[in-house]
Amino acid sequence: MFTTNWLRPGYRDVYDVARFQPDFINVNSESGRWGIASYASWGIALLVAIVGALIWGWFDKKRKEYNLLYYWLRVIVRYRAGIGIIGFGFTKLFPVQMPYPSLSNLLTDFGDFTAQKIYWLSIGIVPWYQVFAGIVEVTAGVLLFFRRTASIGAVLLAGALANITFVNFAYDGGVHVYSAYFVLLALFVLWYDVPAIYKLFVLQQYTVPVYHYPAFNKTWQRVSRWTLKWGAFFVFVVLLFYLQWWNYRYDPYKQPVHKAIAGTKGVYNVTEFRLNNKVIPYSPQDSLRWSQVTFEKWSTITYQVNKAVKLDLSNGGGSPKEDIDRNFELAGVAGRRRFFYYEADTTSGTLTLRDKNRSALRKGSTDRPNTKKEKDHPLVWHYERPAPGRIILYGLNDNKDSIYVILDKVDKRYTLSESTIEAGQY
Amino acid sequence: MSGYQRILFRFFFLYFVLQTLPFNFKYFERVPAGIGYRTLFYISRYMPGDNFATWGILAIIALAGTIIWSLADNKNRSYEQLYYWLRVLLRYRLAAGIIAYGLLKLFPQQLPFPSISQLNTHYGDFTAWKLFAISTGIVPSMESFLGLVETTAGLLLLSRRTAPIGAGIILTFTGNVFLSNLAYEGGEYVYSLYLISIALFLIVYDLQRIISLISLQQATAPDPVKPHFAKPWLRYLKIGLKALFIFFFVGVYGVTAFAAYKKAPYQYPVQAGLPAAAGIYNVNEFTINGTALPYSLTDSIRWKDVVFEKWATLSVRSNRTFTPDLSNTEEIYSNDAERNFESAGNASRQFYAYVNDTAKHILYLQNKNKHYKEDRLILHYERPDSSTIVLYNDSLHVVLHKLDKKYPLIIGRRKPLKL
Repeated sequence: MFTTNWLRPGYRDVYDVARFQPDFINVNSESGRWGIASYASWGIALLVAIVGALIWGWFDKKRKEYNLLYYWLRVIVRYRAGIGIIGFGFTKLFPVQMPYPSLSNLLTDFGDFTAQKIYWLSIGIVPWYQVFAGIVEVTAGVLLFFRRTASIGAVLLAGALANITFVNFAYDGGVHVYSAYFVLLALFVLWYDVPAIYKLFVLQQYTVPVYHYPAFNKTWQRVSRWTLKWGAFFVFVVLLFYLQWWNYRYDPYKQPVHKAIAGTKGVYNVTEFRLNNKVIPYSPQDSLRWSQVTFEKWSTITYQVNKAVKLDLSNGGGSPKEDIDRNFELAGVAGRRRFFYYEADTTSGTLTLRDKNRSALRKGSTDRPNTKKEKDHPLVWHYERPAPGRIILYGLNDNKDSIYVILDKVDKRYTLSESTIEAGQY
Repeated sequence: MSGYQRILFRFFFLYFVLQTLPFNFKYFERVPAGIGYRTLFYISRYMPGDNFATWGILAIIALAGTIIWSLADNKNRSYEQLYYWLRVLLRYRLAAGIIAYGLLKLFPQQLPFPSISQLNTHYGDFTAWKLFAISTGIVPSMESFLGLVETTAGLLLLSRRTAPIGAGIILTFTGNVFLSNLAYEGGEYVYSLYLISIALFLIVYDLQRIISLISLQQATAPDPVKPHFAKPWLRYLKIGLKALFIFFFVGVYGVTAFAAYKKAPYQYPVQAGLPAAAGIYNVNEFTINGTALPYSLTDSIRWKDVVFEKWATLSVRSNRTFTPDLSNTEEIYSNDAERNFESAGNASRQFYAYVNDTAKHILYLQNKNKHYKEDRLILHYERPDSSTIVLYNDSLHVVLHKLDKKYPLIIGRRKPLKL
């Protein structure tokens, strides 16, 4: 949080502030990552609170009520929850959190994804639905900023995030703690209104709600309140709206930004494959010969070959800055496919490729962007485009064997409807 | 009620009575006979028509009725009691619809775990609606949770004290269902909007009180209207009807739906398939009319892989796509032949239901896709070893080898995986 450059804010900075959560302890076990033990920090906070409450109670025995303090506590909780959910909401309102599946994802069997990936993709294929979910989240957040609408915002937030918490448990999404954090905050805000709602509707009795609001008598109080309130509104609603729009337009954070070589986007059959100058015929069982290749609209090439690979089991998030670290397209994807980031020199016809799968360098299935990218050696291949729809690649593969590959574009039609909203510039 | 409120009331009264009371007798011809969840499901899903045009016609009839009623009945009558009973009608109509879907999810069979064929179909070869169904199907606990929310909301409607809370939950829940239907190209957007319109009408009644209490934060009086029973026996009639409703739409429905979930869920066929054959098979050899076709990325005749399900269905993938069966509404079929959940929305596999003549070792195949009804095959089979199946007839000879396929979807991602 303190590494933020406050003079030149980018969407990552404001978003990081919105995402702050206390992290006292991480339990190093399966349950500590995926289950109940991952809530250990909450347990510690609870213990500290109980001990603190006992001590406080001892020293503050004469106190009859904490109406004012309770008010301010609700203000803090409301703003914390509101800011956080707006941060999340904007990545959906400008749909970049769950991108539309890449070509290689469309060509992967349903059973070859992890459950987490399935859920993320299932939202990615309906961008307008994602926009709607974003509107709900941002609306909930904005409603929480104002005391007259806070309860409605809290109901929306509790409902939406309880669902997301359950999604994370069911699909092993790994974000179950952070989403439950919002449910907790929302329920705390709502807690105040529950007795009155119960009394009016269930007991059907005349109900007088009691709210304690501090009096802002002095000018400086009114000015500070106004400044803080509308300042937060400006930064997290207006400014973040602009930053996230910019992100959506120019730098959708889960997709690489560099464009593909013009006109290459598509699916290609491997018509001919030579290894050390020997032609290998196609067989789905062959562990050396490629079968299909994709050129994405961004600078990624994938090829399929019947050889097991270590899977990248992260969520594919973490908003990395470099294209090579943007691993959403391969995170949680099996199907024996290799993914390469490339830089093309179109005058000499060379591709410099780097393997995007860094799972060997990752410790577990955590989401940290890798930092050891200097360790891999890029592959350098030549490419030729002798005819429309045909690409020839040749060079040395990662075993230093020479390959010569003829690719022919497939006129592939998908049953799944195309995306109606396109993030980024390609 | 003021003058314009009375006119509005007359309109909505007529409109919603036309929408909910079963005037369209034709609908019930299609409802399967019986007293189980299947029959009740179709009763609970009654609508006078399955398109928005019907709504328009009903609105016009209601408007005409409103004019006549207003002319005939211009006394300053208050419709409080009639309004109350209209809400009762709508609460129960809504509860029946919501609980019927809720219990199909609570005992998760509406969206079952994907079949082997579905696991082995490219993501892009499905319709969005099918992806939505199988994406939810992989997490039965999630489905149960959604069913629990839905069922609870429905039950809350059964008492006037909790009805606004139930209607509020339904607005968000079914609102989400409606948007999902639009987004994923599902076929139940009319019906979900129908349920939403009822929930909206119900919540409008309490809206003023809700806003007054939690937004304006004022002292608020509860709903003053209580049901009036002219004769004591009317009260007993009400209790009896309520008990009957709960008995059928919660009790009988719940018990039979649970029994079906345990014994024979309705989405997949029941008839068992070739014993110990379930799995995906590589097509190692493929000979047609005496010509052996080698592996190919382009040949559209040669098969690439074959799936045998646990039940009597096999599916074939080749280098072509087909016109998919685009069914996108929820149906509870009793016959295997009609159960198309496994095949609908899939464009790259051909699905065959088969009858196994165990004595002669012959499979009689029938294409399940309604667009390929003429596609029938008779195939002899041999099983030289546990992982090989040979299928043949006069023109075709196919050798299948079972693949040891592992799915990250099933193994999970908590430990490192090499696949």
